[in-house]
Amino acid sequence: MVLQARNLTVSMQVNGEQIDVLRDVSFDLQPGKVLGLVGESGAGKSMIGRVISRNLPKQFAVTNGSLVFEGRDIIHGADTLLASLLGKRIAFVPQEPLTALNPLMTIAQQFGEHLDRNGVAHAHQLEWMINALQEVRLLDPKRVLSSYPFQLSGGMCQRVLIAMAFISQPALVVADEPTTALDVSTQATIVQIIRRLQKDHGTALLFITHDLRLAAHVCDHILVLYAGEVVERGPARAISKDPQHPYTRALQAANPSLDGPLTRLPSLPDNMPGISGFSAIKGCRFGPRCPVGDSICCNAVPQLREIAPGHWVRCSPACQHAEPSTAPLIEHAAIRDNGAVILNATGLSKHYESPRNWLGRRDGPGLHAVRPMDFTVRAGEFVGVVGESGSGKSTLARLLMGLEKPSTGQISLDGRDITDTSQQTTQLRLDTLQMVFQDPQSALNPRRSVEDLVTQVMESHLKAVTPEARRQRAQDLLRETGLSPELIHRYPSQLSGGQKQRVNIARALCVTPRLLIADEIVSGLDVSVQAQILNLLLDLKAQRQIALVFISHDLSVVRYLCSSMVVMRHGKVVEQGPTEQIFSNPQHAYTKALFAAAPPADLDCVWPPEQTSL
Amino acid sequence: MIRRSPRSAAAWQRCLSSPRVMAGAAIILILIIVAIAAPWLSPHDPQDQDLLSVLLPPFWMADADPRYPLGTDTLGRCILSRLVYGTRIALYVAGLAASGAMIIGTVLAILAGYFGGKIDWLISRAVDIWMAFPPVVLALILLVGLGAGVNKVILAIVLIDWTRFCRVIRSEVLVTMTLDYIPAARLLGFSHQQIMLKEILPAVTPLIITMLSIEMGIAVIVEAIMSFVGMSVESNVPAWGVMIADARTTMHQAPWSVVFPIGAIFMTVLAFNLLGDGLRRALDGRLVQRNG
Amino acid sequence: MAFLALQLLIKRAFLAVPILLCVSALVFLILRLLPADPIAMSLPPGATQADYDMMRIAFGLDRSLPEQYLIWLAKLLHGDFGGSIFFRRPVMELISKALPATLELVSFGFMLGVLIGISGGLGMFITRGRWGEQVLDSSTTIMMAIPEFLWAILLILFLGVLLPVFPFIGRLAPDLTLPASITGFLLVDSALSLRLDLLISVLAHMMLPALALAIGIAPLLMRVLRSSLLETIHEDYVTQARLRGISENRIVIRHAFPNAALPTLSLIGVQGGFMFGGTVLVEMIFAYPGLGNLMIDAVRNHDLPVIQAVALIYCVLVLGINAVVDVIYLAVNPRLRLKGRPA
Repeated sequence: MVLQARNLTVSMQVNGEQIDVLRDVSFDLQPGKVLGLVGESGAGKSMIGRVISRNLPKQFAVTNGSLVFEGRDIIHGADTLLASLLGKRIAFVPQEPLTALNPLMTIAQQFGEHLDRNGVAHAHQLEWMINALQEVRLLDPKRVLSSYPFQLSGGMCQRVLIAMAFISQPALVVADEPTTALDVSTQATIVQIIRRLQKDHGTALLFITHDLRLAAHVCDHILVLYAGEVVERGPARAISKDPQHPYTRALQAANPSLDGPLTRLPSLPDNMPGISGFSAIKGCRFGPRCPVGDSICCNAVPQLREIAPGHWVRCSPACQHAEPSTAPLIEHAAIRDNGAVILNATGLSKHYESPRNWLGRRDGPGLHAVRPMDFTVRAGEFVGVVGESGSGKSTLARLLMGLEKPSTGQISLDGRDITDTSQQTTQLRLDTLQMVFQDPQSALNPRRSVEDLVTQVMESHLKAVTPEARRQRAQDLLRETGLSPELIHRYPSQLSGGQKQRVNIARALCVTPRLLIADEIVSGLDVSVQAQILNLLLDLKAQRQIALVFISHDLSVVRYLCSSMVVMRHGKVVEQGPTEQIFSNPQHAYTKALFAAAPPADLDCVWPPEQTSL
Repeated sequence: MIRRSPRSAAAWQRCLSSPRVMAGAAIILILIIVAIAAPWLSPHDPQDQDLLSVLLPPFWMADADPRYPLGTDTLGRCILSRLVYGTRIALYVAGLAASGAMIIGTVLAILAGYFGGKIDWLISRAVDIWMAFPPVVLALILLVGLGAGVNKVILAIVLIDWTRFCRVIRSEVLVTMTLDYIPAARLLGFSHQQIMLKEILPAVTPLIITMLSIEMGIAVIVEAIMSFVGMSVESNVPAWGVMIADARTTMHQAPWSVVFPIGAIFMTVLAFNLLGDGLRRALDGRLVQRNG
Repeated sequence: MAFLALQLLIKRAFLAVPILLCVSALVFLILRLLPADPIAMSLPPGATQADYDMMRIAFGLDRSLPEQYLIWLAKLLHGDFGGSIFFRRPVMELISKALPATLELVSFGFMLGVLIGISGGLGMFITRGRWGEQVLDSSTTIMMAIPEFLWAILLILFLGVLLPVFPFIGRLAPDLTLPASITGFLLVDSALSLRLDLLISVLAHMMLPALALAIGIAPLLMRVLRSSLLETIHEDYVTQARLRGISENRIVIRHAFPNAALPTLSLIGVQGGFMFGGTVLVEMIFAYPGLGNLMIDAVRNHDLPVIQAVALIYCVLVLGINAVVDVIYLAVNPRLRLKGRPA
């Protein structure tokens, strides 16, 4: 046994009150096996890694239970015990590879420091490092070693960190969301490298992720956490094929699929309570959101029950899971050729000149953020724009909105040219187009109340209204976006992530635009909240006949919403057409690679594939 | 009813519970009262010379005169009275000079940060040129050109220290400009003026308040330096810097007489620094988050 | 590296030219606002109108403003700052005597200040959460509330008058004879001429003014270093190093300190510039024959050629120290030397 947790409980002291942020967690991790910790943000999944490294935030402490590593108690053991284990028997792969390496030291210096600690003689260190970097498929190990972290891509940094983690032949590797900060197309490669090294060395792996589908492919066993509580635990296959707990089911159903018929996503109400909300919940912490919860499980915490060998569920025995209701099918009507064109861009491009140096010369060729492209949106049409970071998809949004001047090309709105940004075209844009920004944290002025935010457009010099009209409008907009009208006096800091994104959308709807441009608006959200927002967009389509340009890196979400799509890479359109056609028969190699990078819903499909290259 | 955002309510709460803010504010309040009530608080006219009792020691020493609690200077003038009246000059300069520097600096910083391009280039180069001077040197040159006098000192401080505000606030404006609510406001039809006043100014206000407090302390120091070298008030007007310059010549016979005006400057600058530092800690969201 | 440093210095020098032109023009302009007449002030009683006119012509004050400026500039290019109205000597001569004194004092004060600042900042960080931090933090508050020139007076009062430990007038004890000037830097000259008594006297005379200058820059350095150490200690790479089992001491020395030192370093550049400003009053109070003293004398006597020249020298010094700090920054920060990741 590598790692064994028994009734592990971590609590936080707030004003003399003790709140369990991780309650009663038990698991076994055998050598050479992979245990997945799955949960949304705030579920407490990262807390376990922090318990192992004794790196709990202030005010947090283990208050009950035990955690035993190779027969030794690492909660109560001496500090020297832990110090002797870290970096030797226990290793960590971080979430943000770019910031996890010291920016002032070369890779060789940091790797060397780690080898020093593991007692590798200086004479052999270079050889060790080169071998290790070759194992993680870094093609030019010498160049990587002499580089500083900022000279490498996120994926390369992560490979270096993986190589460092495995070099001491540890018994346990803890990988906390190792692919979340990376581009989709690197995900498969990173997962594959971790898996191979783990298998070759017989290492036990603790794999922490928010993605149930990814965990199902990578892990042997899975532990699903909700609000600090294990709701389900068992073999990865069993949980993925036949989830028993209503939360696990909801989590799985909230992810739109990449194939098969499209059905409306079932979405849970609200969002997971924060730590301060835990103490108000008497029974099962999922109770308040549970679609099938009853008075019993809302008043007493249900025990974990073994429903099949090794498969445990924390749900009341009386719980009768409703049969998965048949969700309504979604039809993306073929609007392509009959709708009126709202927005049309031809030959649109954006080139950033590199800045002049002190001699007045330009240092480089500059950046072609968007290469000449054509782009059309018809009334009521949802168009997806897919690409990774640096693909130019966000620049495209800013060009369409008039926040950037195009280098070449024309944009027209209802047939009228709006390429220049004069007073007149600004007014025209304002009446027709609106944008929803990616991160509500940054897009909502924290000093404005919700009412001021959603009706901000009424403050502009172009409009004039009475305070009563403004309040009325704010309440209408909140209702329309599924928010309680009582929220008008709140401020962004008092809202949850999902609520903020709804306010963000409500603000854009205030001018009753006919076309919305949404830049990665669900990427920061948990899956269950993501499903709510996606359904909201579909409802708006039905009620307002609104058109949408939906920018995303996530193929499944684009398939769920959009009838046509554009795939971009390095500022260039590589593929463009009806969504179903591209999904059933992708033409470009890059599109195919993107599909291969996403874990499929079908567990019998081998993923990650043995060779993925981009 | 005024609804205060939870953000500003919390910031207000943190200010009230900050010992630095409260201590600084309390000292400043006392100084203001002293300045206003100077005629009643001082036992003598600060200019009255008593040539029969020069260089008297303060009250705790052996041959002190109870009529002069803090003793007298070389001309037999009451040190306490001069100290009390000196508060007026110090606060007058602090208030006017710091506000003037703040207004010019903030306006230029917001224009530079918001519009960027040529405007930013021009303002930033001006700041560069100003920064090439040690401030004291520039102040001396300005006072040579403008002539001595306390109002000239105020003008000189404004002309020099606007760059202090401009530099810091401009970079804060640039940070704010990276947030999406600025382009969002543009897309919602806000004019440039509206964005600068309604979106950017509130975001940098906490920083402006903090810097204003610190700048008042700096203004007190600059005034003291200038009266010390005789470029500020007339030499018979009671200013702390003048008192230090007078007392320096008798440091061997009467070391205490130099300590009192230095103590007065210390308390005043300390108060403004404590207030500024406390406000920074209470108003800076990033700092608050890190401390838990 | 050497190439990049050289390139940076050339670039700095290139950019300094327009700044210095603007600076000198600005000084020239401000000084011509002068209400008093410097010539009239400098003439002995009983001088005739003809004497006055001759002086005006001699100093070029009869010409138009732009003409005066251009003439001054042209002379400057030949290393001629003109003549002092008050001292009746070439400005160049005055400056060449005062500049080494100031440079010596500032270097000493600067080293002292950086030493106090860095050790104090590290001390505050290491004792964080304990009384040691409280003591150091309070001391920074006190140091910051008293400007350099008042520190100078307090130091004289406590370590010169009440407790006579250090001398506080001039550069050298009056009974010692100056060696033949080799470099003008007394420390160097006395060391070169193997005069230990001289060396000790020079150092003792520099102690108090240098300390006053050091106190002017140390507290801010302490605070900034402490807070950037507190920031870096929470960075991902420090956590990750801890997770690799690297010892706490090594983490502070190898990982946290070098990263935390970067913002402190750029502050040192700015503070170094301010220190030259501090010398003006400090030198005057210690009767230390440097640029600052010269400046005060010139200001009191409206000696325009001297004021112009000294102001320009100060600006050159400030720009110089900024350039030096830039080069050090370039040396320690690889991000400035190397290109980032490929797009």
